[in-house]
Amino acid sequence: MGTSLQEALHQILAAEGVRTVALIDIASGMVVRSVGEPNPGLATAAATLADEARAARNLLGPRPGGELEEIAAVTGSGLQLSKVLLDKPGEGFLLFVDWDRARANIALASLRVGQLASAVLA
Amino acid sequence: MSARSWGPADEPLGPLDQALRDCAAARFSGALHVIGAPGGMICLAQGAVTAIETPWSPSPEVILLRSGRVPPADWEAAFTAATGARGRMTDELVTRGLVGAGELEAVLRTALADAMFALAAGFVDTCRAEEAALDFEMRLEPGAEADWLVAEALRRMRVLADFPGPPLHARARVTAAPRPARPGDAGHDGHAGHDGHAGVLALIDGRRTIRDLAFARGRGLYVTMLEVARMRATGLIALPAPGGQRPGDEDGSPRRKAATAGPTAAGLPRRHKDRPAQPKRTGDADGRPFPAVLRLLRPRADGGP
Repeated sequence: MGTSLQEALHQILAAEGVRTVALIDIASGMVVRSVGEPNPGLATAAATLADEARAARNLLGPRPGGELEEIAAVTGSGLQLSKVLLDKPGEGFLLFVDWDRARANIALASLRVGQLASAVLA
Repeated sequence: MSARSWGPADEPLGPLDQALRDCAAARFSGALHVIGAPGGMICLAQGAVTAIETPWSPSPEVILLRSGRVPPADWEAAFTAATGARGRMTDELVTRGLVGAGELEAVLRTALADAMFALAAGFVDTCRAEEAALDFEMRLEPGAEADWLVAEALRRMRVLADFPGPPLHARARVTAAPRPARPGDAGHDGHAGHDGHAGVLALIDGRRTIRDLAFARGRGLYVTMLEVARMRATGLIALPAPGGQRPGDEDGSPRRKAATAGPTAAGLPRRHKDRPAQPKRTGDADGRPFPAVLRLLRPRADGGP
C-alpha cells in the first residue's frame, strides 16, 4: 500500500503546466496529501474549497444529474480545478490541481484531470 | 531512546507536541502513551505516526464498517484470511478489492488526524514513550509526519473556536431543538430541509454525546463537532450550558473529576450512576467472546457510550 496515493498524485503532477496537486477531505477541509510546489496557502485554500463544495451540494440538492462534479477558479496566473471524488466514507474528497494558466487550457485541463482522477483512490 | 517521560506543560497540547518532536528527532519506534482525558496511545515507527488509539475518535475499522464502505461479512472474511496467513489487514482489504489502496491510505490519514485532534481537544497531562513491538491491524505505512498531525489538530481547534457560543466538548449531550415541521424536512442526508444535517439529526436523542454520534455514524469526532457547531449556530440543536454536564461525564478537567469521586458532600456513598466510569474490558461482556466485527466496533478503551 504505502505510497500509492502519492504516486497517483505525482502522475497528475507530471502533466504539463501542473504546479501543485492535492487530495482534500471535504468533510474536514484537510489536505490529506499534496505534491508539487510548496504552497503555504494550500491549507486555507483547501478548507475554503471544502466549504464551497458543501455549500454547492446543499444548494443543488438531490436533482438527477445535479451532483457537483468540479469547481474551477481562474486567476491572472493560475487555473485551479477541484474534481469531486465520491467514494465513501464521509463526504468524499476533492482532487485539487493547480495549473500555470499560461500553459493550460481550461477545457483540456478539465479533461485531463477527469482522465487521471479515477486512479487516485484506486 | 528506550523509555522517556514528559511532564505537564503549559502548551495547547500539553507536553504532547514536544514528546512527538523528540520522538521524531530520535526516530523512535514504539508506543507513546498519552495520559490525560481522553488519553490514548500513539504508535510510532521511525519517528512517524502509524496508528493512534483513543476512545474519543473512531478507528479506521469503525469508519469503514459503520459508514457502510466495507460490508461486515466481507470484512470478516478478509480478517479471517489475513489472520490465517499472518498478513496485514490493509493488504487483504486491497487485494480483495474491498477498498482501493489510495482510498485506504486517505482513510488512514484522516483517521490519524481525527485521533490527534481528539487528544488535543481533551487534556494531556503527561506522555511516556516505551519501546515495544506493536501490532495494529490498520496502521499507516509509512507513517504520517507528527508535525503535520499537530498542525492539523491546531487548525481544527481554531476553526471550532471561531463559532459563536461556549466551546464544544466531545462528551456534551446533544438535544434537538423543538421546531415545527416544514415541507422538505424528510429529505435524506445532504439535501433539503436541514442543510445536510438530517443524518446526524436522526441520531440525536438527548442521550448521545457528540463522541457517540461520531461512532454511531463512523464519522470523525472533528467532523461531528463541526456539524454540531453549525447546527447550534442555526438553532437546530441545543447543548447543555457550560458546567451542565451530568455527573460522571469525562470532560478532561481533573477538578471536575475529583468532585465526582469519594463520598457526597453529605458524607453518603455515591450512587453507582454518579461514580466515575470504571475501565471496561474490551474483549467480552459476559464471558462470551464477541465476533471479530463486533469487537472492532467497540471503543478500545474507557469511554463507552
